[in-house]
Amino acid sequence: MMGKGFCALFKKDCRMLASGKFFLMAIGFLVLYTAYVNLGYIRFMQMEPYHVYLYDPEGTQTAKSTLVRNVSSMEEMNTALLSDANGVGLDASGRDVQVVLYAGAKHIDRHRADYALSLLCAADDYSPKILGINSPEQKARKEITCELLFFELAAVGFLGIAAVLFKEKGMGVIRVHAILPLRKSEFLLSKLAVFLLSDVVFAVLLTLLNVGLADGAAVLPTVLLQTMILSLIMALVGLLCALLLKDFRQFTLAYLVIAIFAATPVFLSANTSVKFDWIDWHPFYHVYMGLKNAYFGAAISPVYYIGSIGVIMVLFLAVQLAFHREIGKEG
Amino acid sequence: MKGLKYQMKSVLRDKFCLMTFLLPVLVAVALHFMGSIDMSSLGELHFGVLENDLPLQAVTWLERYGPVTAYATLDDLTAAVNEPSTNVIGVRMDGESLKTAIAGDELDIFQQAAATLPTLYEQRNAAEQVEVLTLERPDILESLQGIFIPAVLIVAMFMGCTFNAMNIISEKEDGVAFVNEILPMTPSQYILQKVVVGFLFGSLSSIITAAICFHLSWKNFGIMLALIALSSFVAAMIGLFTGKLSDGLMTGVVYIKIVMLLFLAVPLVCALVGVSGPIAVVCNIVPSQPAFEGIMALSAGNAGAAVKDVGILAVHCITWFALYVLISARRKVQVA
Repeated sequence: MMGKGFCALFKKDCRMLASGKFFLMAIGFLVLYTAYVNLGYIRFMQMEPYHVYLYDPEGTQTAKSTLVRNVSSMEEMNTALLSDANGVGLDASGRDVQVVLYAGAKHIDRHRADYALSLLCAADDYSPKILGINSPEQKARKEITCELLFFELAAVGFLGIAAVLFKEKGMGVIRVHAILPLRKSEFLLSKLAVFLLSDVVFAVLLTLLNVGLADGAAVLPTVLLQTMILSLIMALVGLLCALLLKDFRQFTLAYLVIAIFAATPVFLSANTSVKFDWIDWHPFYHVYMGLKNAYFGAAISPVYYIGSIGVIMVLFLAVQLAFHREIGKEG
Repeated sequence: MKGLKYQMKSVLRDKFCLMTFLLPVLVAVALHFMGSIDMSSLGELHFGVLENDLPLQAVTWLERYGPVTAYATLDDLTAAVNEPSTNVIGVRMDGESLKTAIAGDELDIFQQAAATLPTLYEQRNAAEQVEVLTLERPDILESLQGIFIPAVLIVAMFMGCTFNAMNIISEKEDGVAFVNEILPMTPSQYILQKVVVGFLFGSLSSIITAAICFHLSWKNFGIMLALIALSSFVAAMIGLFTGKLSDGLMTGVVYIKIVMLLFLAVPLVCALVGVSGPIAVVCNIVPSQPAFEGIMALSAGNAGAAVKDVGILAVHCITWFALYVLISARRKVQVA
């Protein structure tokens, strides 16, 4: 009996998502993200070493490296530096070599100057020890895929979930359930199942298409586990918002707050060397790091799993409470 | 005029709707104060060393180039080097010279820095005597903030679009749209009433945002005002289209998201990648592109380029308005 009721609910939810063009939108975003990663991001994320320009009319610098570019006059050097403000100019026309550069951050300026000078002396080829397993392109692919998946689940998917639920709430479907001979939790479980399934499929496709087949398949199991955690949390928060807030317009505000204030510091802290002291208190930071560690094959602490299961359970109980309250309004 | 009063009344009753318009202002204030966050550390070199491995003078020398962190064990150091969000270069002593370690997934610039560090250390005494001539950077907008602020402004202008679309969709769902069809009101009257609300609030929140983030001269402020007014108007018009096209809340949300993505992605990608030639002209089809370019040009002090963008936006306004009137008039004929 329970299985049958659940199946019927599941089918109804799927139909509703399909009629709301939810799946179509997910495919559209998948295509968009894939195009962005493969055509734009990978090419954009490149930073060459500083270019070094040398003005040496007498030809005094004989031991210089091949990375040094010769210019024939100071004017040429100035135009080169103006268009390439990170470049460094070396003026060897006087008795001593003079370094010319445009000011940036203090530490980096020192390094640029010393680096440029070091290119004038012959040095044996030294290559640093490589400790990691990813190439720069693999890293870039994993990083952007992780960001896009998080963004899609936390922001875009969340909005879709809420739209569906507000529609049901508006149509009075939730109240109808008060009199249906179905277990109350089945209504919630079928919703969670639909979103979980569509998120998992999305995560599989996004990972395989953008990280690459071999690399993607290797990290897929842990990534899927993290996707499920994130998807459940977002679906439950979406359900809670839909049950507690009056209408969709109120929800868009809650959504904006999440999208801007919750996501920005997380992205900054997790992807750049900008680290905030308080970021450990940010719940989304841990979820995001879980996903990121899954992509990079780093260990994920069991405390995080216990914590997220706890959060999911608490959210589920809260949603159930809100659901019963919503049903109770009728009687 | 009376209709407009009713529209305003319904907006003012909806507190949450008012707060959405305040949001960009809040972000602008946050950004204004966040200027103190040091974004320049992004491109900086970071070094990781083992405790008690490097002599003090070597650590001091490394600190000239960037922050140095000491780790207790080799495993900790390896983990720090491999950590994907940073570009830590591991440094260890090897007799009299240094040796370095990297994760191998860093950008070329960091790999090159790690490869040349031992040579720099050998030549440290010679390098200190060289004269360095530092020039002032010519461009003002070099930090990330330069792109953040116009992006927030675009979001502020976009609010009018979201609001109008939502307004129309909820009118449709409540059946008010059918009532409107039989009211003694011409299509342009209806459009004006609807557009004005989103337009007013969108431009108001953009103006406040701009006033917080930019310090402009009076002449440039006039151009900025024109940019804001025109693009808020276009955004409000697009909101009307979105509302008209979507037959329910869910499809409405999908359309709004697509529009929002286009609005933000096109100018940001153009600015970051540096698109030029015919593609740049095509990009102007998205109205946020000339708005973004105009704001960037203004903050760089280039009023001439901004005036050109005002012109493009004016063309947008006329086109979208005419298109909408045309479509509504045709539908009215069909209904009649």
